[in-house]
Amino acid sequence: MMRLSGFSILALAMLFLLGPFFIIAAAGLSAGDLLVFPPQGLSLRWFVAILDIERFRVSFLLSMELAIISTGLSLLMGVPAAYALARYDVPFREAMRTIITSPVIVPAIIAGLALLRYAVIPLGLPVISALILGHTALVAPYAVRVVSVSLTHLRVDVEEAAILLGATRSGAFFRIVLPNIKNGMMAAFILGFITSFNQVPVSLFLTGPGISTLPIDMLGAMEFVYDPSIAALSTLLALMTILIVLLAERLLGLSRYV
Amino acid sequence: MFADRRIGLMLMMPAMFFVGIAFLLPVLILLAEGLRTSEGWSLARYTSFFSDSLSQEVMLRTLRLGFGVTLASAIIGYGVALTIANASPLTRSRMTALFILPLMISPVARTYAWIVLLGRTGLINKVLIGIGLTEEPLRLLFSETAVFIGLLQLFLPLMVLSLTSALENMPSDIIPAARILGANWLTIFFRLILPLTREGLIIGGTLVFTGAVTAYITPAVLGGSKVLMLETLLYQRISVANDVATASVIAAILIGMSIVTHSLIRRLTSGKRSS
Amino acid sequence: MSESQFLDLRDITIAYGAQKAVENVSLSVAQGQLLALLGPSGCGKTTLMRAIAGLLPLTQGSMTLAGRDLTRVPANRREIGLVFQSYALFPHLSVFDNVAFGLKLRHLDKTEIEERSKVAIAMVGLTGFEHRLPRELSGGQQQRVALARSIVVRPRLLLLDEPLSNLDARLRLDMRSQLHRLHHDLGITMIYVTHDQAEALALADRIVVMRSGKIIQTGTPEDLYERPQTGFVARFMGFENVLRVTSSGLVSDEGSLPFATQSLQNIHALAWRPHHVQLGQGPFKGRILGASYQGDSIEYLLDTPAGHLKVQSPAASPRYQPAQEIAFDLPLTHAISLRED
Repeated sequence: MMRLSGFSILALAMLFLLGPFFIIAAAGLSAGDLLVFPPQGLSLRWFVAILDIERFRVSFLLSMELAIISTGLSLLMGVPAAYALARYDVPFREAMRTIITSPVIVPAIIAGLALLRYAVIPLGLPVISALILGHTALVAPYAVRVVSVSLTHLRVDVEEAAILLGATRSGAFFRIVLPNIKNGMMAAFILGFITSFNQVPVSLFLTGPGISTLPIDMLGAMEFVYDPSIAALSTLLALMTILIVLLAERLLGLSRYV
Repeated sequence: MFADRRIGLMLMMPAMFFVGIAFLLPVLILLAEGLRTSEGWSLARYTSFFSDSLSQEVMLRTLRLGFGVTLASAIIGYGVALTIANASPLTRSRMTALFILPLMISPVARTYAWIVLLGRTGLINKVLIGIGLTEEPLRLLFSETAVFIGLLQLFLPLMVLSLTSALENMPSDIIPAARILGANWLTIFFRLILPLTREGLIIGGTLVFTGAVTAYITPAVLGGSKVLMLETLLYQRISVANDVATASVIAAILIGMSIVTHSLIRRLTSGKRSS
Repeated sequence: MSESQFLDLRDITIAYGAQKAVENVSLSVAQGQLLALLGPSGCGKTTLMRAIAGLLPLTQGSMTLAGRDLTRVPANRREIGLVFQSYALFPHLSVFDNVAFGLKLRHLDKTEIEERSKVAIAMVGLTGFEHRLPRELSGGQQQRVALARSIVVRPRLLLLDEPLSNLDARLRLDMRSQLHRLHHDLGITMIYVTHDQAEALALADRIVVMRSGKIIQTGTPEDLYERPQTGFVARFMGFENVLRVTSSGLVSDEGSLPFATQSLQNIHALAWRPHHVQLGQGPFKGRILGASYQGDSIEYLLDTPAGHLKVQSPAASPRYQPAQEIAFDLPLTHAISLRED
């Protein structure tokens, strides 16, 4: 009895969380011109049509580029920071940790506005670099955290063993530490990539007519597009994410790091 | 632990400087701007924000939605997490993965689904008309209910995941032992499960609450300009009136709420580690 | 100590902030010797060993190895090997690559690396396991990989940090004799850190007992076993009944026994091994608290006016029952005299 009601709650929650995706996928598969569910006939026409829209293609590529660059940058800075926090007696440790994790605490929309007003406008900073700045800062705390998790699985004496066998401190890092946190770094990259790719608020103020990310473009299009194209695009994005996450879970055990 | 502090400091520097200068500094300048008027430093912006009826309404709505979504996700979350925790290890890890998955999918795509469902010609209205509950389609979109549903869908997984891990850490024989002693489910829940998973509830709750009160996409898409929340109000103030002062006040409120909840989480989790 | 000592530590202090983990320790080891650093956990032995390896800076003092001042030599150029308690194998490298790691860093040519690694792997009996990863090995096998990895680079000094403490009892004995053989065959100078006096007695040429960051006593295994100088070392070496000498008799924290102590001037305390306490006759009275059968002997716990004493009698001698009142003797001929801790 208890079991049965338990599973029905679980099933309802799943329906609530995942059901809308099926509906949106079905709506995207519609053969008709209007966004409705159930769809009017089935076809892939909107999935094909969406690939032909120049605007979405451009912003998709920009989002990809942005996600790759900012996640890469945040790892480049986050790995040494996580390593220092894990292995060194760093002065002002807590203060520094607070600063590095502050992007988690400050709502992203505020960061976007602040970057626009105090970096892009007065310094004439190109919008794309402001976007990179914002996204990198936003992803950095995740990079630090995920890499920290995988560093805790590697005992310090493994590095000391390498040093006593003749390795330099940096030699031990590259030969011993890096290969052992590789999975963690890949997990951090995937999580960071997804975070950046899906990011809306920080980009909100930093995009404009000439330059836009895919989620921002989709938000804008929702207001005047009533055909199933956005549904098709949403479905494609969801499928892409599911594929990445499943692959990462299989290869890296992604959920350990979330 | 390596002793050389200088090397540690050097390794921290790139991330420190980057986040400090490219992120924190502009935010601090923005916050300072809300404390300045033409006559110098003052709290005038804050008093005028809090006495404005629209701001009050938006503040209240944001808090109401924040608490409402947190409460709803806690109730559903316990039902779901208790079921997951009782399942076999394999099912448990698969279920956990299923709840992580939606968190990864674009919130824009997740929110868009509700337009299809809640619109005038959407599925819900069709069903309601079909079974004769209503003759005219109901106005479901651009309402607080729509925003509530959207937020709940976005953040429920966070609660489920925190509660599941809290329940997994609970000694597994406690519930059967209480059952043998004759306790009913209500007693077991309020006397045993709730106190023992308090930490998970608070962590999940603060994650859901901060997520909900700082949400932008959901109120923007499902609430529109009628159902503003703090972030959509901030965006509107800037894009319509370039009102940086008000934006700065809202920013301070949002950051304040975020700091309070995060320090709560940090205290809880660091307390756990030391005990 | 003389100039010819191989490793020479002078007046070493290692402090963490205000707390001194090692205080004014001077110590020397001759070439080829196996020295055991013996002491309970927290006595500073591991700290001292890490400082010798160069993993911890000295707060004060100096050290030389083979005449070379080590104080400013970084850990990776000291040519000192260390076998960690946790083994600290490289998780992503095979047994062969773990062992070859140090050789590759020395840029030796490929055939030599291969040759020497194979020899070292064979020496610890792991031939055939070259391609396994550490996690695919048992604890004892991992231990031997750690050993092979350390000796293959021919260190001047090999440090072993509680190397057997993570192994089960049988494996421990087995590894102990393998270590003994390796030390004998290779002639490497070794410092062996342990809290187990049996290990130290069995393996070491010389034992250094440490307590609270200081050296308490140094000597050969026989020295320490037969002639411990303080109550602390005596208890470690099996003299479990330690009583202080005062003008009124023998005293413990619990009480005292009348004893003619006029002849014991300048002696701080006396100690007896359990089997040297005589039961059944003597000037003192005690009560049996408990008895446990040990096979060839019986161990009694005896309640006396000076607290509990441990007594061991041959199994063939008369048995006593718990709660039985009994006379006993502490023969001076079997006592060792101790100075203050």
